[in-house]
Amino acid sequence: MNILLNVILGLMLTIGIYAGAKRLYRRLPKVYLSPLLITPVLIVIILTQTGVSYETYNGGAQWISKLLGPATIAFAVPLYKNFRTLKKHAAEIMLSVLTGSVLAMLSSAYLAKWMHLNSSLATSLVPRSITTPIAMNVSEVIGGVPNMTAVFVIMTGILGSMIGPAVMRIFRIRGDIARGVLFGTSAHGTGTSKAFEFSSLSGTISSISMIVAALFTLGTAPLIMALFY
Amino acid sequence: MINMIKGTLQVAGFMLLSLGMDRMAKWLDWGIPGSILGIVVVFILLETKILRLEWIELGANWLLAELLLFFIPAAVGIMKYFPMLEADGLQILFVVVFSTIIVMVSSGLTAGFISSRKERKTP
Repeated sequence: MNILLNVILGLMLTIGIYAGAKRLYRRLPKVYLSPLLITPVLIVIILTQTGVSYETYNGGAQWISKLLGPATIAFAVPLYKNFRTLKKHAAEIMLSVLTGSVLAMLSSAYLAKWMHLNSSLATSLVPRSITTPIAMNVSEVIGGVPNMTAVFVIMTGILGSMIGPAVMRIFRIRGDIARGVLFGTSAHGTGTSKAFEFSSLSGTISSISMIVAALFTLGTAPLIMALFY
Repeated sequence: MINMIKGTLQVAGFMLLSLGMDRMAKWLDWGIPGSILGIVVVFILLETKILRLEWIELGANWLLAELLLFFIPAAVGIMKYFPMLEADGLQILFVVVFSTIIVMVSSGLTAGFISSRKERKTP
Protein backbone atom coordinates (compact mmCIF):
# COMPACT_ATOMS: atom_id res chain seq x y z
CA MET A 1 0.00 0.00 0.00
CA ASN A 2 0.95 3.56 -0.58
CA ILE A 3 2.67 4.79 2.59
CA LEU A 4 1.79 8.43 2.01
CA LEU A 5 -1.89 7.57 1.66
CA ASN A 6 -1.72 5.65 4.98
CA VAL A 7 -0.22 8.65 6.71
CA ILE A 8 -2.89 10.99 5.37
CA LEU A 9 -5.71 8.58 6.27
CA GLY A 10 -4.39 8.01 9.80
CA LEU A 11 -4.07 11.74 10.40
CA MET A 12 -7.42 12.66 8.86
CA LEU A 13 -9.32 9.92 10.69
CA THR A 14 -7.91 10.98 14.06
CA ILE A 15 -8.19 14.74 13.63
CA GLY A 16 -11.62 14.55 11.97
CA ILE A 17 -13.23 12.37 14.65
CA TYR A 18 -11.54 14.39 17.41
CA ALA A 19 -12.86 17.67 15.98
CA GLY A 20 -16.37 16.23 15.77
CA ALA A 21 -16.19 14.77 19.30
CA LYS A 22 -14.98 18.10 20.65
CA ARG A 23 -17.92 20.00 19.13
CA LEU A 24 -20.34 17.44 20.51
CA TYR A 25 -18.76 17.72 23.97
CA ARG A 26 -19.04 21.51 23.89
CA ARG A 27 -22.78 21.19 23.32
CA LEU A 28 -23.31 18.24 25.65
CA PRO A 29 -20.58 18.19 28.33
CA LYS A 30 -21.27 14.72 29.76
CA VAL A 31 -18.39 12.61 31.15
CA TYR A 32 -19.15 9.67 28.85
CA LEU A 33 -18.95 12.02 25.86
CA SER A 34 -15.38 13.15 26.67
CA PRO A 35 -13.38 13.37 23.39
CA LEU A 36 -10.63 11.26 24.95
CA LEU A 37 -13.12 8.41 25.39
CA ILE A 38 -15.33 8.79 22.30
CA THR A 39 -12.53 9.36 19.75
CA PRO A 40 -10.43 6.23 20.48
CA VAL A 41 -13.57 4.08 20.82
CA LEU A 42 -14.83 5.18 17.38
CA ILE A 43 -11.39 4.73 15.79
CA VAL A 44 -11.00 1.23 17.29
CA ILE A 45 -14.46 0.30 15.95
CA ILE A 46 -13.61 1.64 12.48
CA LEU A 47 -10.23 -0.16 12.41
CA THR A 48 -11.59 -3.51 13.58
CA GLN A 49 -14.56 -3.30 11.19
CA THR A 50 -12.34 -2.50 8.19
CA GLY A 51 -9.60 -4.95 9.27
CA VAL A 52 -6.87 -2.29 9.41
CA SER A 53 -4.10 -3.12 11.91
CA TYR A 54 -2.96 -0.76 14.66
CA GLU A 55 0.51 -0.62 13.08
CA THR A 56 -0.94 0.62 9.77
CA TYR A 57 -3.06 3.23 11.54
CA ASN A 58 -0.20 4.35 13.78
CA GLY A 59 2.07 4.78 10.75
CA GLY A 60 0.21 8.04 10.17
CA ALA A 61 -1.18 8.76 13.62
CA GLN A 62 2.27 8.62 15.29
CA TRP A 63 2.85 12.12 13.92
CA ILE A 64 0.14 13.33 16.27
CA SER A 65 1.78 11.58 19.25
CA LYS A 66 5.00 13.44 18.42
CA LEU A 67 3.30 16.68 19.54
CA LEU A 68 3.06 15.34 23.10
CA GLY A 69 6.67 16.42 23.81
CA PRO A 70 6.23 20.02 22.56
CA ALA A 71 2.88 20.23 24.40
CA THR A 72 4.52 19.15 27.66
CA ILE A 73 7.16 21.85 27.23
CA ALA A 74 4.34 24.38 26.66
CA PHE A 75 3.36 23.88 30.34
CA ALA A 76 6.29 26.24 31.07
CA VAL A 77 4.03 29.15 29.99
CA PRO A 78 1.22 28.78 32.59
CA LEU A 79 3.95 27.84 35.08
CA TYR A 80 5.68 31.19 34.45
CA LYS A 81 2.44 33.19 34.48
CA ASN A 82 1.27 31.72 37.81
CA PHE A 83 4.60 31.39 39.54
CA ARG A 84 3.76 33.82 42.35
CA THR A 85 0.62 31.92 43.35
CA LEU A 86 2.52 28.66 43.13
CA LYS A 87 5.26 29.88 45.44
CA LYS A 88 2.62 30.94 47.94
CA HIS A 89 1.13 27.43 47.96
CA ALA A 90 4.34 25.43 47.55
CA ALA A 91 4.01 23.65 50.92
CA GLU A 92 0.53 22.20 50.38
CA ILE A 93 1.25 21.28 46.77
CA MET A 94 4.46 19.41 47.65
CA LEU A 95 3.09 17.58 50.70
CA SER A 96 -0.15 16.49 49.08
CA VAL A 97 1.49 15.40 45.81
CA LEU A 98 4.03 13.31 47.73
CA THR A 99 1.27 11.67 49.79
CA GLY A 100 -0.76 10.96 46.66
CA SER A 101 2.20 9.58 44.70
CA VAL A 102 3.27 7.12 47.42
CA LEU A 103 -0.33 5.93 47.77
CA ALA A 104 -0.66 5.64 43.98
CA MET A 105 2.24 3.20 43.79
CA LEU A 106 1.37 1.22 46.94
CA SER A 107 -2.37 0.94 46.26
CA SER A 108 -1.76 -0.14 42.65
CA ALA A 109 0.62 -2.88 43.80
CA TYR A 110 -1.57 -4.07 46.69
CA LEU A 111 -4.87 -4.00 44.81
CA ALA A 112 -3.25 -5.86 41.89
CA LYS A 113 -1.96 -8.52 44.28
CA TRP A 114 -5.39 -8.76 45.91
CA MET A 115 -6.96 -9.24 42.45
CA HIS A 116 -4.44 -12.07 41.76
CA LEU A 117 -2.96 -10.29 38.75
CA ASN A 118 0.42 -11.71 37.75
CA SER A 119 3.52 -9.85 38.87
CA SER A 120 4.44 -8.37 35.47
CA LEU A 121 0.93 -6.86 35.22
CA ALA A 122 1.11 -5.63 38.81
CA THR A 123 4.53 -4.03 38.28
CA SER A 124 3.35 -2.40 35.04
CA LEU A 125 0.42 -0.90 36.96
CA VAL A 126 2.61 0.77 39.61
CA PRO A 127 3.62 3.96 37.68
CA ARG A 128 0.19 4.35 35.98
CA SER A 129 -0.73 7.71 37.51
CA ILE A 130 2.15 9.74 36.02
CA THR A 131 2.74 11.14 32.54
CA THR A 132 3.34 8.53 29.79
CA PRO A 133 7.04 9.02 28.86
CA ILE A 134 8.22 8.98 32.49
CA ALA A 135 5.82 6.19 33.43
CA MET A 136 7.31 3.99 30.70
CA ASN A 137 10.76 4.85 31.99
CA VAL A 138 9.83 3.89 35.57
CA SER A 139 8.14 0.70 34.37
CA GLU A 140 11.34 -0.44 32.69
CA VAL A 141 13.46 0.33 35.76
CA ILE A 142 11.23 -1.67 38.15
CA GLY A 143 10.80 -4.61 35.76
CA GLY A 144 7.39 -3.93 34.21
CA VAL A 145 6.38 -3.89 30.54
CA PRO A 146 6.60 -0.26 29.29
CA ASN A 147 4.01 -0.76 26.52
CA MET A 148 1.46 -2.16 28.94
CA THR A 149 2.19 0.71 31.33
CA ALA A 150 1.38 3.17 28.51
CA VAL A 151 -2.05 1.56 28.15
CA PHE A 152 -2.67 1.75 31.92
CA VAL A 153 -1.57 5.40 31.97
CA ILE A 154 -4.13 6.26 29.29
CA MET A 155 -6.83 4.24 31.11
CA THR A 156 -6.02 6.12 34.32
CA GLY A 157 -6.22 9.45 32.50
CA ILE A 158 -9.61 8.75 30.95
CA LEU A 159 -11.14 7.18 34.08
CA GLY A 160 -9.57 9.84 36.32
CA SER A 161 -11.07 12.75 34.41
CA MET A 162 -14.43 10.94 34.41
CA ILE A 163 -14.58 10.18 38.16
CA GLY A 164 -12.70 13.27 39.41
CA PRO A 165 -15.75 15.59 39.57
CA ALA A 166 -17.76 12.97 41.49
CA VAL A 167 -14.90 12.39 43.97
CA MET A 168 -14.67 16.16 44.55
CA ARG A 169 -18.41 16.31 45.28
CA ILE A 170 -18.60 13.29 47.58
CA PHE A 171 -15.51 14.19 49.63
CA ARG A 172 -16.23 17.93 49.55
CA ILE A 173 -12.87 18.82 48.00
CA ARG A 174 -13.09 22.51 47.14
CA GLY A 175 -10.79 25.30 46.05
CA ASP A 176 -8.50 25.72 43.06
CA ILE A 177 -5.44 24.37 44.89
CA ALA A 178 -7.00 21.12 46.10
CA ARG A 179 -8.71 20.49 42.75
CA GLY A 180 -5.52 21.08 40.80
CA VAL A 181 -3.52 18.80 43.07
CA LEU A 182 -6.21 16.11 42.83
CA PHE A 183 -6.20 16.03 39.02
CA GLY A 184 -2.48 16.45 38.44
CA THR A 185 -1.43 13.81 40.97
CA SER A 186 -4.01 11.21 39.99
CA ALA A 187 -4.45 11.64 36.24
CA HIS A 188 -1.38 13.43 34.74
CA GLY A 189 -1.90 15.44 31.52
CA THR A 190 -5.42 14.23 30.87
CA GLY A 191 -6.48 15.25 34.36
CA THR A 192 -4.69 18.56 33.85
CA SER A 193 -6.74 19.40 30.79
CA LYS A 194 -9.85 18.56 32.86
CA ALA A 195 -8.58 20.84 35.64
CA PHE A 196 -8.25 23.69 33.10
CA GLU A 197 -12.05 23.33 32.60
CA PHE A 198 -12.53 24.47 36.22
CA SER A 199 -10.11 27.43 36.21
CA SER A 200 -6.74 28.41 34.82
CA LEU A 201 -5.29 28.35 38.35
CA SER A 202 -6.55 24.79 38.90
CA GLY A 203 -5.00 23.80 35.58
CA THR A 204 -1.64 25.31 36.44
CA ILE A 205 -1.58 23.73 39.91
CA SER A 206 -2.47 20.49 38.19
CA SER A 207 0.41 20.77 35.72
CA ILE A 208 2.85 21.46 38.56
CA SER A 209 1.45 18.51 40.51
CA MET A 210 1.85 16.33 37.44
CA ILE A 211 5.52 17.30 37.09
CA VAL A 212 6.28 16.88 40.81
CA ALA A 213 4.48 13.51 40.89
CA ALA A 214 6.42 12.30 37.84
CA LEU A 215 9.81 13.28 39.25
CA PHE A 216 9.01 11.95 42.71
CA THR A 217 7.79 8.61 41.31
CA LEU A 218 10.87 8.38 39.10
CA GLY A 219 13.08 8.81 42.18
CA THR A 220 11.24 6.58 44.66
CA ALA A 221 9.59 3.75 42.66
CA PRO A 222 12.52 1.31 43.10
CA LEU A 223 12.45 1.94 46.87
CA ILE A 224 8.68 1.46 47.08
CA MET A 225 8.96 -1.77 45.10
CA ALA A 226 11.67 -3.01 47.47
CA LEU A 227 9.32 -2.29 50.39
CA PHE A 228 6.51 -4.14 48.70
CA TYR A 229 8.32 -7.36 47.84
CA MET B 1 -4.60 35.32 9.56
CA ILE B 2 -1.45 36.90 11.01
CA ASN B 3 -2.25 35.15 14.31
CA MET B 4 -2.52 31.82 12.53
CA ILE B 5 0.90 32.19 10.93
CA LYS B 6 2.37 33.36 14.23
CA GLY B 7 0.80 30.44 16.12
CA THR B 8 2.01 27.90 13.57
CA LEU B 9 5.55 29.26 13.67
CA GLN B 10 5.52 29.16 17.48
CA VAL B 11 4.30 25.55 17.49
CA ALA B 12 7.12 24.72 15.05
CA GLY B 13 9.51 26.38 17.50
CA PHE B 14 8.23 24.18 20.32
CA MET B 15 8.72 21.11 18.10
CA LEU B 16 12.33 22.04 17.33
CA LEU B 17 12.98 22.72 21.00
CA SER B 18 11.45 19.35 21.91
CA LEU B 19 13.78 17.55 19.47
CA GLY B 20 16.78 19.40 20.87
CA MET B 21 15.80 18.65 24.47
CA ASP B 22 15.37 14.93 23.69
CA ARG B 23 18.92 14.92 22.34
CA MET B 24 20.21 16.77 25.38
CA ALA B 25 18.40 14.34 27.72
CA LYS B 26 20.05 11.40 25.98
CA TRP B 27 23.44 13.08 26.16
CA LEU B 28 23.11 14.02 29.86
CA ASP B 29 21.82 10.53 30.70
CA TRP B 30 20.25 11.60 34.02
CA GLY B 31 17.11 9.55 33.43
CA ILE B 32 15.08 12.75 33.07
CA PRO B 33 12.99 12.94 29.86
CA GLY B 34 13.57 15.76 27.37
CA SER B 35 10.11 17.24 27.88
CA ILE B 36 10.76 17.86 31.59
CA LEU B 37 14.16 19.41 30.78
CA GLY B 38 12.34 21.56 28.21
CA ILE B 39 9.91 22.92 30.82
CA VAL B 40 12.82 23.89 33.06
CA VAL B 41 14.80 25.52 30.22
CA VAL B 42 11.83 27.53 28.86
CA PHE B 43 10.85 28.59 32.39
CA ILE B 44 14.37 29.85 33.14
CA LEU B 45 14.55 31.69 29.79
CA LEU B 46 11.21 33.39 30.58
CA GLU B 47 12.23 34.31 34.14
CA THR B 48 15.54 35.81 32.96
CA LYS B 49 13.63 37.75 30.22
CA ILE B 50 15.81 36.22 27.49
CA LEU B 51 12.61 34.78 26.02
CA ARG B 52 9.57 37.07 25.84
CA LEU B 53 6.15 35.67 26.72
CA GLU B 54 4.53 37.09 23.58
CA TRP B 55 6.97 35.15 21.37
CA ILE B 56 5.62 31.78 22.52
CA GLU B 57 2.27 32.35 24.25
CA LEU B 58 -0.01 31.80 21.25
CA GLY B 59 1.64 28.52 20.25
CA ALA B 60 1.73 27.29 23.85
CA ASN B 61 -1.98 28.04 24.33
CA TRP B 62 -2.84 26.15 21.18
CA LEU B 63 -0.75 23.11 22.17
CA LEU B 64 -2.32 23.01 25.64
CA ALA B 65 -5.87 23.47 24.31
CA GLU B 66 -5.49 20.45 22.00
CA LEU B 67 -3.57 18.31 24.50
CA LEU B 68 -6.17 15.53 24.44
CA LEU B 69 -5.71 15.03 20.68
CA PHE B 70 -2.07 14.05 21.19
CA PHE B 71 -3.03 11.17 23.52
CA ILE B 72 -5.47 9.58 21.08
CA PRO B 73 -3.12 7.40 18.97
CA ALA B 74 -1.68 5.92 22.20
CA ALA B 75 -5.21 5.31 23.52
CA VAL B 76 -6.12 3.49 20.28
CA GLY B 77 -3.08 1.28 21.02
CA ILE B 78 -5.25 -0.46 23.61
CA MET B 79 -6.54 -2.63 20.76
CA LYS B 80 -3.20 -4.47 20.72
CA TYR B 81 -3.98 -5.71 24.23
CA PHE B 82 -7.53 -6.96 23.73
CA PRO B 83 -6.63 -10.63 24.53
CA MET B 84 -5.03 -9.57 27.83
CA LEU B 85 -7.94 -7.29 28.65
CA GLU B 86 -10.42 -10.06 27.92
CA ALA B 87 -8.74 -12.24 30.54
CA ASP B 88 -7.90 -9.66 33.24
CA GLY B 89 -9.81 -6.56 32.12
CA LEU B 90 -12.26 -6.34 35.01
CA GLN B 91 -9.56 -6.84 37.63
CA ILE B 92 -7.38 -4.19 35.96
CA LEU B 93 -10.33 -1.78 35.78
CA PHE B 94 -10.96 -2.37 39.49
CA VAL B 95 -7.32 -1.62 40.39
CA VAL B 96 -7.21 1.53 38.25
CA VAL B 97 -10.53 2.95 39.50
CA PHE B 98 -10.00 2.26 43.22
CA SER B 99 -6.36 3.26 43.27
CA THR B 100 -7.26 6.48 41.43
CA ILE B 101 -9.97 7.26 44.00
CA ILE B 102 -7.44 6.66 46.82
CA VAL B 103 -4.94 9.05 45.16
CA MET B 104 -7.58 11.72 44.54
CA VAL B 105 -9.00 11.64 48.07
CA SER B 106 -5.61 11.56 49.81
CA SER B 107 -3.99 14.33 47.73
CA GLY B 108 -7.12 16.49 47.52
CA LEU B 109 -7.94 16.30 51.24
CA THR B 110 -4.29 16.88 52.26
CA ALA B 111 -4.13 20.02 50.10
CA GLY B 112 -7.50 21.24 51.38
CA PHE B 113 -6.50 20.61 55.01
CA ILE B 114 -3.19 22.50 54.76
CA SER B 115 -4.83 25.41 52.88
CA SER B 116 -7.54 25.84 55.51
CA ARG B 117 -4.98 25.76 58.37
CA LYS B 118 -2.84 28.33 56.60
CA GLU B 119 -5.87 30.63 56.16
CA ARG B 120 -6.67 30.43 59.85
CA LYS B 121 -3.11 31.39 60.79
CA THR B 122 -2.97 34.39 58.46
CA PRO B 123 -6.36 36.15 58.54
